[in-house]
Amino acid sequence: MKHRLSTVVATAAAGALLAGCGGGGPSSGGGKISDDKIVLGVLTDLSGVYADIAGPNSVQAVQMAVDDFKKKYGDKAVTQNIEVIKADHQNKPEIANTQAREMYDRKQADALFDVPTSSAALAVQTVAGQAKKLYFNTGAATTELAGKTCNPYTYEWAYDTYMLAHGTGSAVTAQGGKNWYTIYPDYAFGQDMQKKFETAITGAGGTIVAKDPTPFPSDNYSTFLLKAPRLKPKPNVLGALQAGGDLANVVKQYEQFKLKDKGIELAIGLLFDSDIKAIGADKLAGTTFTTAWFWNVDPKAQAWADRFKERTGQRPTFVQAADYSAATHYLEAAQKAGSDKAADVSKELDGTKFSDFFAHNATIRAEDHRIVHDAYLAKVKDPAKASEPGDYTERVKTIPAAEAFDKPSPDCHLS
Amino acid sequence: MILALLDKLHGRPVWIRWGLFAAGLLVALGLPWSLYPPVATDILCWGLFAVAFDLLLGHAGLLSFGHAAFWGSSAYVTGLIALHSGLPFYVAVLGGAGAAALLALPIGFLAVRRSGIYFAMVTLAFAQMVYFIANQWGDVTGGENGLQGIPRDLPGFDLSDSFVFYYAALPVVLLGLAAAWRIAHSPFGRVIAAVRDNPARARALGYPADRYKLVVFTVSAFLSGLAGGLYAVNHGFASLQEVYWTTSGKVVVMTVLGGMGTLWGSLLGAGAIVRLEDWLSTSGFEETGLVTGGVFIVVVLLFRRGVWGTLAHALRPRSGSSTPDPEPHLEHDHGDASQPVSP
Repeated sequence: MKHRLSTVVATAAAGALLAGCGGGGPSSGGGKISDDKIVLGVLTDLSGVYADIAGPNSVQAVQMAVDDFKKKYGDKAVTQNIEVIKADHQNKPEIANTQAREMYDRKQADALFDVPTSSAALAVQTVAGQAKKLYFNTGAATTELAGKTCNPYTYEWAYDTYMLAHGTGSAVTAQGGKNWYTIYPDYAFGQDMQKKFETAITGAGGTIVAKDPTPFPSDNYSTFLLKAPRLKPKPNVLGALQAGGDLANVVKQYEQFKLKDKGIELAIGLLFDSDIKAIGADKLAGTTFTTAWFWNVDPKAQAWADRFKERTGQRPTFVQAADYSAATHYLEAAQKAGSDKAADVSKELDGTKFSDFFAHNATIRAEDHRIVHDAYLAKVKDPAKASEPGDYTERVKTIPAAEAFDKPSPDCHLS
Repeated sequence: MILALLDKLHGRPVWIRWGLFAAGLLVALGLPWSLYPPVATDILCWGLFAVAFDLLLGHAGLLSFGHAAFWGSSAYVTGLIALHSGLPFYVAVLGGAGAAALLALPIGFLAVRRSGIYFAMVTLAFAQMVYFIANQWGDVTGGENGLQGIPRDLPGFDLSDSFVFYYAALPVVLLGLAAAWRIAHSPFGRVIAAVRDNPARARALGYPADRYKLVVFTVSAFLSGLAGGLYAVNHGFASLQEVYWTTSGKVVVMTVLGGMGTLWGSLLGAGAIVRLEDWLSTSGFEETGLVTGGVFIVVVLLFRRGVWGTLAHALRPRSGSSTPDPEPHLEHDHGDASQPVSP
């Protein structure tokens, strides 16, 4: 009996293994479009602190890019079958890791978009490298994505911490904010922001009096806000490097603790229109910040933003605009290459120079897949001067593409 | 030898036991065919974790609410070994499990002096300490970002395909399960059961109860570590989630759902929960906790023996008087050990 059983088990096991070798590999059909369709995946925060920055409207932006692409090419499109799928990563890297794998492997996503939260983005980048499929980051700011951890499958489309720090950090320090107390969320984005701000501030002649990591996400910043006025020497700038819902909490509590009256000005690392709306433009009026884009930066941008508003009822953030821009470039490249394979699409994209409604004077750097483009030093508009309730941003100056972003990192080797 | 061991299992005819054994093995071999392979590997990992946990809960009557500490610390140690040494992943997983067992010694030494809810609270407290260390020690663990890009190294094999990796992970899990089963049905396991059912009498008979508890605690931590290490390699990732208390809670749910003290039931419980979560998350339903929690409540209220226990009870041969009751006798352990099961 023992003998018979082991024979059966062995046969079954051998059969299972053999068939596995046959069926396990990826199937490559006749055409160059895998599975006869292009699937764009939006992996984002659908309900948490970054849901307004990216979230459901990022899905809409990518869908809009697909609709526009279909309308433009009609029957001549590389495939008629273009799908947009979405998933929620809840800003957690382990969920992002699982979801990205799931989207690439199981739902045949050819490219992923968005992914706010730098720690989650780093996880997605790793999975993209393993799956050998593309990932267009628009939501995460850490420079590591195009630095230490860079891989040929990841493109950084919108912004990074260098851009934010060298815009805001230098400008505020030059305006007289010499002594900084910075608080940053304790994960990849915040840690990177802190480093970049420190470089920018000290480079402009300022000093960091103290710096503190804060839990992410969090609703209570009182420990840090109480500490600020007691520091020696007393800082005259509070650098709040939080983002999204966290930033709104910091700013509200900054008001409650009346730090402004105590001579501590607020400087903000990353500010989106959705944050200004949540906090109130009157509270923020005059605040200096750096942005990759805003919806009424020029008529072309405004025309797109009008269409976006028709669709969603809201003005887009720059992350959502970048999603549209990246998705459009991806589809155009796939159209040109006649293929949705990562290597073919990359070949079309790398080194391209372009200007669209989002990225002005842009170059897709072949060295590190960072898209460099003009950025803007801006101020929150006085609500009295706003043309409509969503008109928040006033341009102070344009930061040309070459200055806005750092040089390719020596840590990044794509090939 | 296996045959001899199987003979001891309840009073069922030989062919039923062999049939169950073969069916289980076939299911294990065929799992990645019917399921998305990474999910199949997850079931293996959680299954081993739940069995290791059941060794402690069902057989020793100790409800640990901090088993995430062992699963998670092994995930980190496995990840670090795999990332920095380039050794085959089996070595990394073994190293992780060893670290989990080492960690279990001091924690267990202090915790086994208490039982019931106090034991649960002490283990929870230690697990939270491990969580905060992992969170703060960012240079090593990556903090909030986690430990990313853990490789699946095995000289001579390309394990990048999850389908292949499943079959590489399977032997580790089968060995772990065999060890758990062997321990549960050894003379040592009998003493453990005696300590569970009546610690005073066991002590009077000359068995150092606390030392027996400490050994089974450490063994359980080692097996949990095996599972946690494999899980980290499977995902290429170790994160704070692995040491978070919800992970400790999840393994309790799996074990109770499958049936405490049945070992194999824990496998069923783990499979059911992982499948359910996967199915819910792919169908776009976000509140997975609501459903798994609901299932848990139903099982605790209506099927106190769990899925396996209820089946075994219904199918047991009525004639043989030597058949042990599959329901664990937790109520003898100062009467409070069974309370924290339903938090």
